[in-house]
Amino acid sequence: MIRYAVRRILYLIPLFFGVLIIVFVASRLAGDPVRLMTVQNPRITPEARENLTKYYGLDQPLYMQFILFVSQLLQGNLGNAYAIRGGTAVTTLIGDYAWLTFELQLAALFLSLLIAIPIGIISAKRQYSKLDVSVTTTSLLGTCIPVFYMGIIAIIIFSYFLGWFPYGGAHSILPERYPFGSYVLDELWHMALPTAVLTFATLAPIVLLVRSSMLEVLRQDYILAARASGLSERSVIYKHALRNTLIPIVTYVGLYFGAMLAGAPVTETVFNWPGVGRLFVEATTKLDFPVIMGITVFITIMTLISNLITDITYGYIDPRIRLE
Amino acid sequence: MTTKEILKIENLKTYFNTWAGIVKAVDGINLDVKEGETLGLVGESGSGKSVTALSILGIVPRPGKIIDGRILFKGENLLEKTESELQKVRGKEIGYIFQDPATSLNPVLSVANQLTEVIIRHQNVTKREALEKAIELFKLVEIPDPELKIWNFPHQLSGGMKQRMAVARALSCQPSLLLADEPTTNLDVTIQAQILQLMKTLKEKLSMAMILITHDMGVVAEVADRITVIYAGRVCETADTRTIFYKPRHPYTVALLTAVPSLALRKEELAVIPGAIPNLIDPPSGCRFHPRCKYAKAACAKEIPPLKEIEPGHFVACIRASELDIKSPLGA
Amino acid sequence: MIRKKSVESKLLVQNEKKRSKGVSQWNIAWRRFKKNRAALAGALIVGFVIFLAAFDVLIAPFHPNATPGFYIGETRSPPSLKYLFGTDYIGKDVFSQVVYGARSALFVGFASAAIAMSLAILVGLISGYYGGIIDNVLMRITEIFLVIPFLLILLVFLKVITAISPSGGGLSMVVLMIGLFSWAADARIIRGEVLRVKESEFIEASKSLGASKRRIVFRHIFPNVLHIIIVLTTLMIASAILVEAAISFLGFGDAAAITWGQQLQKANEAVKEAWWEGVFPGLFITLLVLGFSLLGNGLRDALDPRLRE
Repeated sequence: MIRYAVRRILYLIPLFFGVLIIVFVASRLAGDPVRLMTVQNPRITPEARENLTKYYGLDQPLYMQFILFVSQLLQGNLGNAYAIRGGTAVTTLIGDYAWLTFELQLAALFLSLLIAIPIGIISAKRQYSKLDVSVTTTSLLGTCIPVFYMGIIAIIIFSYFLGWFPYGGAHSILPERYPFGSYVLDELWHMALPTAVLTFATLAPIVLLVRSSMLEVLRQDYILAARASGLSERSVIYKHALRNTLIPIVTYVGLYFGAMLAGAPVTETVFNWPGVGRLFVEATTKLDFPVIMGITVFITIMTLISNLITDITYGYIDPRIRLE
Repeated sequence: MTTKEILKIENLKTYFNTWAGIVKAVDGINLDVKEGETLGLVGESGSGKSVTALSILGIVPRPGKIIDGRILFKGENLLEKTESELQKVRGKEIGYIFQDPATSLNPVLSVANQLTEVIIRHQNVTKREALEKAIELFKLVEIPDPELKIWNFPHQLSGGMKQRMAVARALSCQPSLLLADEPTTNLDVTIQAQILQLMKTLKEKLSMAMILITHDMGVVAEVADRITVIYAGRVCETADTRTIFYKPRHPYTVALLTAVPSLALRKEELAVIPGAIPNLIDPPSGCRFHPRCKYAKAACAKEIPPLKEIEPGHFVACIRASELDIKSPLGA
Repeated sequence: MIRKKSVESKLLVQNEKKRSKGVSQWNIAWRRFKKNRAALAGALIVGFVIFLAAFDVLIAPFHPNATPGFYIGETRSPPSLKYLFGTDYIGKDVFSQVVYGARSALFVGFASAAIAMSLAILVGLISGYYGGIIDNVLMRITEIFLVIPFLLILLVFLKVITAISPSGGGLSMVVLMIGLFSWAADARIIRGEVLRVKESEFIEASKSLGASKRRIVFRHIFPNVLHIIIVLTTLMIASAILVEAAISFLGFGDAAAITWGQQLQKANEAVKEAWWEGVFPGLFITLLVLGFSLLGNGLRDALDPRLRE
């Protein structure tokens, strides 16, 4: 088992660098950040521009820049932003905002699984019942509605018309408006709408997957054999069927987590949530290379880690894989 | 001296309500099994053999439903029992062996787990005791290294061993009736012989009754005391093995015998039964075999032939049974 | 002995059936499809949108870029008989924009799917059929593309494009980018199907027909893989539409193009005052994606070779 895990980890390293190279080259091709930075400054001279370029090391050939980047990366240094927040260290930026992104994503994922798995199971057990039909329809719709649209609608209904929740952001600007004066409660209050929307978007495909996986499993001979042995219905469903049902779910969630993170920019923009997603949009618009690369590195690492965890969990649940 | 019947099925009807129509898989089956005897249930694929067995246990998968009939097991009608009562019968009084050992075992649970859970379910024992019993069972079904193999997962066992495991599970609580649904069809020929031998031995040791479902006449010749031939959801003929092989009276039985190469010693060609299995949503009227029967007359399409006892212990469902001069391919 | 012979002959009969017109697979699939109401609904929706796109000039009361409400003070006005979906901040008719947006949505969907699926089929078929080193290399590349954070890379690349050529290359660029990065998952699925068919058919074919086994394998692989390709393509169209909407919403799309995503981007600021600017385009996105999803699921159910009659 350990060897299996180590093999997977080693395997991911070239993958990681492959991604880095692609993003690195792409962002460099985009243009000259120095020009963008200084375009509003009327007194900028060509020499000043040159100096800035040299300062940021942008005059070096591409591969040199990349080597420099990688060597700094290995030391845990992601450089400083060009313009965002006055050139703070990228690691600081990410550190400040990453937690907020994770808050939303993890809460949504956790809630999704909590709701989706039982509902999927019940839906499968009562196939074609009214409950099943409504669950399937709602979930299908949930996979088709764009997340940001859901967000907009949610804001219109719950913030604008009903006034129950704030329009966006992670905190009220005025501390007086904190519910019961609590900072934490204020954050939860602001989290409510984005989390609800993200949870719904996440659980919809999972419900459908659990349901179809369960239906597939219930058709199998070994389920019939379990029944023929006189086992209770509870044992049949929760012991025999469930484990097999969850196998594709594990794969899905593992891969999905990476996709979820990558989709953060959208949710965070709608709700003006100050996470790394929104930061990324800002950085890309301003061509702030270090931030772009930094966030990409960060999210890629997260994705790879979640892939790894998925692989290991999969090996644990399905003994057929484990023993290869 | 009459032995008691352990199972008696009267006019069983099990239909499937599919989107294409209602499939009348079992449409009036009558059969019985005496204590300790082996009844061979023979028929082509799709004749309703498996559905009959599943109906006995009450585990016919959706959209199937038992519409009519009585299933008397040790005198009690199983169709009138509640689900929890039936769960006490399944696996304990009646054991079931599935056709494909590769799919009838749960791939993510160890063999020990799947064996002990049945034992614990039906018997009041501790986990340790259940495990010991499981190992004993493995020895009984002749699996080598039982203490080690018991912790294996199904995919680590060969086909033959998987089926032995399935036999062990079916016998774990010493049932009085064993339903074996084509237990050797999916195995290699050499393993087939071994498993059949194993079943014969165990049957005697534990004095169980058994219904052996198969389409292979060679297998029933070896193992069965009596044979019931079914076609398209209805019984054609029931008699003891010798009678079926040497003095069959139903045209379908004869056709089955003729189609088996090892038995049709005098023929050079394999005789194929013309036509195909009928559509069970809209089956032929009257005798369901009549479209393919070379002795069919107009009357055969009109009424369903009743199962008549033409001599003691020999039942035939053919209105022309007494007039036809049918010879078994084995000579008589 | 008899058993194996009957398996082989069953296989040959099956394949003959595939080619005979009466009971062909496609007929069976079509009949199954017709019975599936959800799938028919999906087809209807897609048909409706195609209709909108084809006749947009006739259906829309105004030109999408025209500002009929500007001079007469009808900017930001709610839905009415004159402006079915209301007007936006400079008086453009939202309904007309939505109608014209249908064409872009379909273009994005079909074109992106075409690019992505072509790549997926190429990689999947080659990888699955040849195996060995080719398979290994292709699968590594596929994995890199699977790990890349999808949306992020798209944003970066699109920024690159708009920076290099100020006109931005328009919607076609967006389409190209989506296509270039969406193929990986489907390539793996197709490869899986190829392997499955290869394994099941190859053994039988090699035993019974000897010399022409390679040809047989090829003639059997493609039809069986076609099923999954059709389903994947339909679902890819749905996904591409969603992606373009997200990209445009974030402001990285083609500002000059009339797409529903673009409308949502402009509507985002006006959410509080003019809800109709965003609600209707979003509704249509949902509708079209739903249509293709239902269609895709319906096709999958109808074409699944494992479902018994």
